[in-house]
Amino acid sequence: MKILTVIRQVPDAEARVRIEDGEVALSGAAWVLDGMDEYGVEQALRIRDDGLDAEIVAVALGPERTEEALRTALAMGADRARLLVADEALDPLAVAMRLADVVREEEADLVFVGGKQADWDSAALGPALAEALGWPLSDWTTALTLEDGGIRTEHDADAGSETLTLPLPAVVSTQQGLNEPRYPTLPNIMKAKRKETRSEPADAPASRSRTVGRTLEQRDRLGRVLEGDPAEAAGEVARFLLEAGR
Amino acid sequence: MNFELPDDLKDLRRHVRDFARERIETVAAGLDAEPTFPRATLAEMGRMGLMGVSTPESYGGAGLGTLAFTVAIEEISAADASHGTLMAVTNGLPQKMLVAYGSEAQKEAYLPKLASGAWFGAFCLSEAQAGSDAAAIRTRASAVPDGYRLRGAKAWVTGGGEADLYLVLAVTDPEAGARGISAFLVPGDAPGLSFGTPERKMGQHAAVTTTVTLDDVFVSDGDRLGGEGEGFVMAMASLDGGRIGIAAQSVGIARAAFEASRDYADEREAFGRSIRAFQGVGFPLAEMATRLEAARLLTQKAAWAMDRGFRVTQEASMAKLFASETAGFVTDAALQVFGGAGYTRDHPVERYLRDARVTRIYEGTSEIQRMVIVRQIYRDRERRGRT
Repeated sequence: MKILTVIRQVPDAEARVRIEDGEVALSGAAWVLDGMDEYGVEQALRIRDDGLDAEIVAVALGPERTEEALRTALAMGADRARLLVADEALDPLAVAMRLADVVREEEADLVFVGGKQADWDSAALGPALAEALGWPLSDWTTALTLEDGGIRTEHDADAGSETLTLPLPAVVSTQQGLNEPRYPTLPNIMKAKRKETRSEPADAPASRSRTVGRTLEQRDRLGRVLEGDPAEAAGEVARFLLEAGR
Repeated sequence: MNFELPDDLKDLRRHVRDFARERIETVAAGLDAEPTFPRATLAEMGRMGLMGVSTPESYGGAGLGTLAFTVAIEEISAADASHGTLMAVTNGLPQKMLVAYGSEAQKEAYLPKLASGAWFGAFCLSEAQAGSDAAAIRTRASAVPDGYRLRGAKAWVTGGGEADLYLVLAVTDPEAGARGISAFLVPGDAPGLSFGTPERKMGQHAAVTTTVTLDDVFVSDGDRLGGEGEGFVMAMASLDGGRIGIAAQSVGIARAAFEASRDYADEREAFGRSIRAFQGVGFPLAEMATRLEAARLLTQKAAWAMDRGFRVTQEASMAKLFASETAGFVTDAALQVFGGAGYTRDHPVERYLRDARVTRIYEGTSEIQRMVIVRQIYRDRERRGRT
């Protein structure tokens, strides 16, 4: 079995963000492997830990620096990595089209991709990749088991959760709850540098979306102040929150 | 000349830092307030390979060098000094001496358990009247059929009562001084082994320290480590690596204090501006950063030289002396930057200061390091023929 895990590198959410000329300044940012993608790497490793003979290939499309995120996947235990080098940011459809070529070339049976990328908050790559491949998709997956040559997954739906059974090959988009990703071991960190990372120009199709402007999402505060008895006020707050949540 | 860490050690630093921030730093204040031996986090460190960094991979360790160890222990200690100490202890003499002097049977029996973190290894040398003067120990190992009976009391044992294996130094020949001391491997559940209540220490509360009493504890011949009379010499030969480890731990504590005060001085405003704009705050920050850099360079140089097989007695002592004194200076100066806030437990700097204080004491006091250094200075001079 061959498992492909898609890796994205995003700014470290715990590092400070600088704003310059109304834009997020990324020049001095610290970059990390997207936590959502880490679930995919971990799940692939667990499939292999459970005794299945699986090759795990980490694939990324991005600038040269993305290699560090791939090395994290290798340090966790992926067997080899591929980097499609593209300096400009591409939209998820363009990335999906290019990644679909790699998936076909590698003849992968299962593809993991993070449910949502932390920087743009976009959840499009998983569905777009499944569409480009013509494969079934389990999105927002919280549990996965191999079963009769296919997979059985739990995934979040608009209301509640569903159980899906999918034939392979398939695309699985991950989210929190699927697993608890491991920390790389010291020996594996040292070996990661010696594993194969194949780097090639992305030659991806052009993005069909373009950025026309950016604004900060702002919501006006309600400005409601509750006065009087604290216990009554607390009840009022609870009633308000319940209704707001409906 | 190359002052840059190799790429793989930069990766190691990044991953250990992530782990330390997420898993260790988050429990540090709680363990300081309510001390317990942190088994769960030590087990996680074991899974990562942090509890047997330099033990060969064939015995379950990570098989890395001293420089890698300094990088890892700086990160762990920046998150919590107690975890740094516990890491230094079990990685230190119990495994170092087993690797260097253990029989094949001893290595196979103990190293995989220690290196994986399944077992914690403690070291018992000091006694109430034998600290810096370590050869003055009185714990006696008397020969009996098939082994020895150990009798005496050890002091300042990190992990006492919690460890699974104790490396105990005891006198086999009272007439022979330092050359009459031997080393023994004593399992934590050996009959006759008992422990005092944990010392109430100024800092590093989770690095539980107790006395260890040996009341006719039987040790078989097979659990004597090295030859009879070789214990003290073996322990002294392993000290250099330990001192480099404590130097790196000191750098870690100092770095945590420096970064906390650097950030605070940026955010805190007084007289209408950020307090870092005042020389009274800015100059100490510059001094802290400079000494921290110097301490790390001394530490890494000693580690680098050790990994290349050089004798590093002088370099290790210089690194340990300077880094621990730096940790004292930096944690104190950092607290001053915080002002009154730093004196409260709402900020971690007072803990850094308490945790750092002992780095000038254990693994050889600053005074002992100076004795070692001056001895080395004249030894080198005599070797070179007084040039």
